[in-house]
Amino acid sequence: MSSQKLEAPAFDPALEESRLLDRCEQLVALAVKGGADEAEAFGTFSEVACVSFEKGDLKMAQVDDGTSIGLRVFKDGKMGFTSTNQTDESSLEEAANNACTLAGFSVPDEMNQLPEAREPSLELGDLVQPDVGAFGLEAVVECGRDFVERTVAGDSRISIDKADAQASRVSVALHSTRGVHLSESDASVGLSVFGMAVDGDDVSGFDYWGGNVRDLSRLAALTDETIERFSDAVLGNLGAGAAETYAGPVLFSPAAFLSIFISPVVSAASSIAVQRGRSALAGKLGSSVTDSAISILDDPADLELSGAARFDREGQPTSRFAIVEGGVLKSYLYNGYSSKVDDCLSTGHAAGGARSVPGLGPHAISVAAGSGGDRNAMLEALGKGLFVQRFSGTVDPASGDFSGVAKSARWVENGQVVRSLKETLISGNAFELLNEVGTLSTSTETIFSSARAPFALVDGVSVTAG
Amino acid sequence: MLTVLRKIHPASRDSPLNHQPDPTDLLLEVLTDTGEEFVELRYHRKRTRSLSVEKGRVDQAKISEHTGVGVRVLAQGTWGFASTDRFDKQAVRRAVESARHAALASASARRNKTSALPEVELARGLFELEGTGELIARPLEESLELVMRLEAQARNASSSIQSAGCGYTEIFEEKGIVTSDGAKAWTRLVRPEFRISAVAQKDGEIQRGSESVGATGGWECLFRNNAAESLADKAAKRAVDLLSAGYPEGGRKKVLLSPSLVGLLTHEAVGHTVEADFVMSGSVAAGKLGTRVASDLVTLCDSGISEYYEGAGGSMMIDDEGVRTKNTTIIEDGILKSYLHDRESAARFDVEPTGNARAWEYDNEPLIRMRNTYVAPGDASLEEMIADTEDGLLLDGPANGQADSNGEFMFGTHEAYQIKSGKLGPLMRGVNISGVAFDVLQTVDRVGKDFVWDLGSGHCGKGQPAKVDAGGPWLSCEVIVGGRGA
Repeated sequence: MSSQKLEAPAFDPALEESRLLDRCEQLVALAVKGGADEAEAFGTFSEVACVSFEKGDLKMAQVDDGTSIGLRVFKDGKMGFTSTNQTDESSLEEAANNACTLAGFSVPDEMNQLPEAREPSLELGDLVQPDVGAFGLEAVVECGRDFVERTVAGDSRISIDKADAQASRVSVALHSTRGVHLSESDASVGLSVFGMAVDGDDVSGFDYWGGNVRDLSRLAALTDETIERFSDAVLGNLGAGAAETYAGPVLFSPAAFLSIFISPVVSAASSIAVQRGRSALAGKLGSSVTDSAISILDDPADLELSGAARFDREGQPTSRFAIVEGGVLKSYLYNGYSSKVDDCLSTGHAAGGARSVPGLGPHAISVAAGSGGDRNAMLEALGKGLFVQRFSGTVDPASGDFSGVAKSARWVENGQVVRSLKETLISGNAFELLNEVGTLSTSTETIFSSARAPFALVDGVSVTAG
Repeated sequence: MLTVLRKIHPASRDSPLNHQPDPTDLLLEVLTDTGEEFVELRYHRKRTRSLSVEKGRVDQAKISEHTGVGVRVLAQGTWGFASTDRFDKQAVRRAVESARHAALASASARRNKTSALPEVELARGLFELEGTGELIARPLEESLELVMRLEAQARNASSSIQSAGCGYTEIFEEKGIVTSDGAKAWTRLVRPEFRISAVAQKDGEIQRGSESVGATGGWECLFRNNAAESLADKAAKRAVDLLSAGYPEGGRKKVLLSPSLVGLLTHEAVGHTVEADFVMSGSVAAGKLGTRVASDLVTLCDSGISEYYEGAGGSMMIDDEGVRTKNTTIIEDGILKSYLHDRESAARFDVEPTGNARAWEYDNEPLIRMRNTYVAPGDASLEEMIADTEDGLLLDGPANGQADSNGEFMFGTHEAYQIKSGKLGPLMRGVNISGVAFDVLQTVDRVGKDFVWDLGSGHCGKGQPAKVDAGGPWLSCEVIVGGRGA
């Protein structure tokens, strides 16, 4: 297909979905002709207009579009997978033959079966707003220029290493020998910024922020929020000093709370992790696994989050899905394969793109708010100690052990931030400490438009000052 | 005047790739009628073969191929970029026009216009690294048999092992780079990776052990330092041993870093801060050229060539701007000597490009990236370094890492051993370590003599991934250790 259009017409979701479905059908037919017992093709088309900035100045404008198609086949219970971005007849034929060849020498597994078609039931409306579909390169350049100029105008000490603005349009399509025949499109405008503050010889730690919107009426709010969040973080990082070494309560921002504590729970709730003996939540369905204040929902109906979708990577319907409710583990996440192993239905959590075999993961994690008030009230509740806004470290999803550096960290005394910090390490075990969550904030924040969580005060964290 | 490189490593005569047409011929035809602006055309074909097995089940048996042409045009002092997934003259011409349109549409927003790029030696010819033909010819069935066998070996190593996983990936890359100022280079290489992990469980506690290797080259390069079977044994043993290991205490400590961790230190703590784009944004290395940033025992380099022995995972002979890669000495005897550059940053700093422009796929723009980053070896044996340590930790097994603009770095380790009075103690659980890069390098008091490339299975992330390698000898220095029971 033609990849470049000088004056690109507005994105036409129906047309792109139709083209993709045709290619997917063609590829599945070629796979069956090549000897596959079952075949599933997943195609994506993306169209991006992007402008990037370095050091506060425009660096480059970019326009791209492209198609990728992934083909999974089963032959005598053996799997093969290929992907390609070449959609001419001979390339598709080669992809089908390669997948069948791989399946020919792979290892049989009786659970290797595609899931049956099930109709999506989640009502999301149209994810492509016409004005976002038509948001062209010139509009992106203007949006990015305004964003960057306002960011650096706020304070001369702010230094932008990289920033960008982009408009993206994506279509996906799925066709299988089990009757799946689905397509969906999405479009958004996004911003991001990465940088630091420089005040003479004092170079602050970096920080970044960003997000995207499906509704252009929310772009101004996203711009304001991104500038404010980024500027507060990097300017606050100047003049960093030492923390105190202690073990006790630490206040975590929504982003830090999500990456340290919630991510390992979601990973451990993977049915594949359970089936393969690497989940700390194995055998704990219906049991209390965290403090009762914690509720974790996977919410593909949340249109403010980028993971909103009606169906998963295997075409199975998605739904609002409780993982932990009131501290009790409610369900494991299943894709087609793991549901066969446990003889149940997929929960619609097949994940991934066109370039890989479907994996397993959530769509849009949302952690329920608590009753601890706003950010300032949470600082007061901490009283004295460490406030972590970003985490740079490792979290082992199997054991729950975490260790790393508290970034954009602040030292708090009498409920007030008194200085920024450097060389401050934190460690502990996420599964153990989730029972020590004292307070969650009353409201939640969206994190890079991918998840939603509150501030959390967690006791028992080891803090090592440099 | 342009200086044209000769072929520095012509393709081997028996390469199965030899029948392929040179993609730069078509690109050059497009270039003949593109006008006055600087135009760079980069054909990029990436073919990946990947196998992944866990607990006896084949999770992934994959071949993926993604091909296209990325185009950069410098018009009115502004860059425009576009790409096409079709490789024919008409499609590439359209991409050139789109890139030109993007540059012109955004030129009014660019304040500091880019003037002409510096004259530089640009590569012409075919450059093929060893191993490409060998791995193309190696049947994937053989690799699957190995992956299945080693996963089972790790899984059956102990009754405490609950599951094991093993994977093997080959990334074949073919590029054709043509620029309007003279580059016409065709490059081919392969980067294989092998990884194995084991999960052990006892009394409800879970621990994981993992090993991985990566190279640029063939099978022998990949397993040069460790046989695949020994990697499986090591991963399983580490998972089991960590079940009964304690936690080290936190605080500022003397540590002996293994070559893999020295690699992480050089990459995360130093390498990112000297990437010229980051320097221009005000990184901690800005303005420090010619000043002391490390103890005089430290010489630190980044090279496109695999120094000391073949196979380093970030090797490349030509960068994605058509510049021949070099060995860049970043720190020499403790003094900061150079940043890492692409052509544009080299012009701004009035130096020669260092060959560090890299793009992950055809539709990515080239960015300043590291290649093989390392500390040069010294003269101490590991035994001498342990014996000279009164109170400290020996750390091994790299996890992830990250560097900050202020020089603060963090990286994780999988295992630690206490050292008391020159004696090595029992295994303890891995920790994360941190420090300010140039402060830590000032504390280096011993540098080992045995050099190892040990980070070839890693990817560096900077908006787009890049295959890199890093390494060095054992190193003695002081860092902050994040332990338990603070």
